[in-house]
Amino acid sequence: MSVEVEVNESDLAEMVEQVWESYLDPEGISPLIPTYDENQPSEVHSSVSITGSWSGHVVYACSRAAAQRAAAAFLAMEMDEVSEDDISDTLGELANIVGGNVKAMLPAGAHLSLPQVVLVSESSARYPNAKRISGVYGMWEGEPVSVSMWQSSADNKEEGA
Amino acid sequence: MTPMRAMVIDDSRAMRMILKRIVTKLNFEAVEAGDGKEALDLLADMTEVPELALIDWNMPNMNGLEFVTKVRADPRLREMTLVMVTTESEQSQIVRALAAGAHEYVIKPFTEGAMIEKLALLGLVPTGANS
Repeated sequence: MSVEVEVNESDLAEMVEQVWESYLDPEGISPLIPTYDENQPSEVHSSVSITGSWSGHVVYACSRAAAQRAAAAFLAMEMDEVSEDDISDTLGELANIVGGNVKAMLPAGAHLSLPQVVLVSESSARYPNAKRISGVYGMWEGEPVSVSMWQSSADNKEEGA
Repeated sequence: MTPMRAMVIDDSRAMRMILKRIVTKLNFEAVEAGDGKEALDLLADMTEVPELALIDWNMPNMNGLEFVTKVRADPRLREMTLVMVTTESEQSQIVRALAAGAHEYVIKPFTEGAMIEKLALLGLVPTGANS
């Protein structure tokens, strides 16, 4: 089914801001500083897939240091206490939260998958037949973080039809 | 005075830790479950039913809506206050959850203050709790 994607970068930015305010920077002292650089590097990423009225993925990608910092903030731990499991759980939940909010803005009939976390870079990840259509790119305490939306090709083809 | 007890049901360990931190701050004793089925199994073994359950929607094995439905069908669990804590923010989903028997609905992401406010509205913030 072809649908107009009503989630734009400004919507994504608002969701990201809420995540920072709620979990990663509740004191409001270290926001995500926009870079608008969609080619910024990443070392780890997590994603949720959306199917149904729109098909694609919502991807949270960042450096390993940013992932460690996110886990420490999310779980109220010291940085040196953070384990791989903590990073994995935190990144999965961050993708789930942003993905769930994206889904809410799509037409009825969209379904959200459980999150997947891969501790390799976003560029090494495989999103077969999907292209990036939107994203928020920034630096968090000097480390790259991005949240992006990837639309599956079935929808892409229909868009141009 | 016996502390109140809260069950935190979410497949994300990270989210369970956040919720557990909040309810512990409010002087609840917290019990964790990774999905609805595990929560029901734990409840079956408990002699005293927790006053509160914070429930994610999307979980493997048994989702939050199924859990709410099963709790509401069990007279032994009737007194539990059920709060959905989820990314499912469409109006239709909220209506479904409330119709199934959830008392409140909190959409992720939430701040600690917002969660405490919801629990206070439900009369579940004990006097003197560190809110």
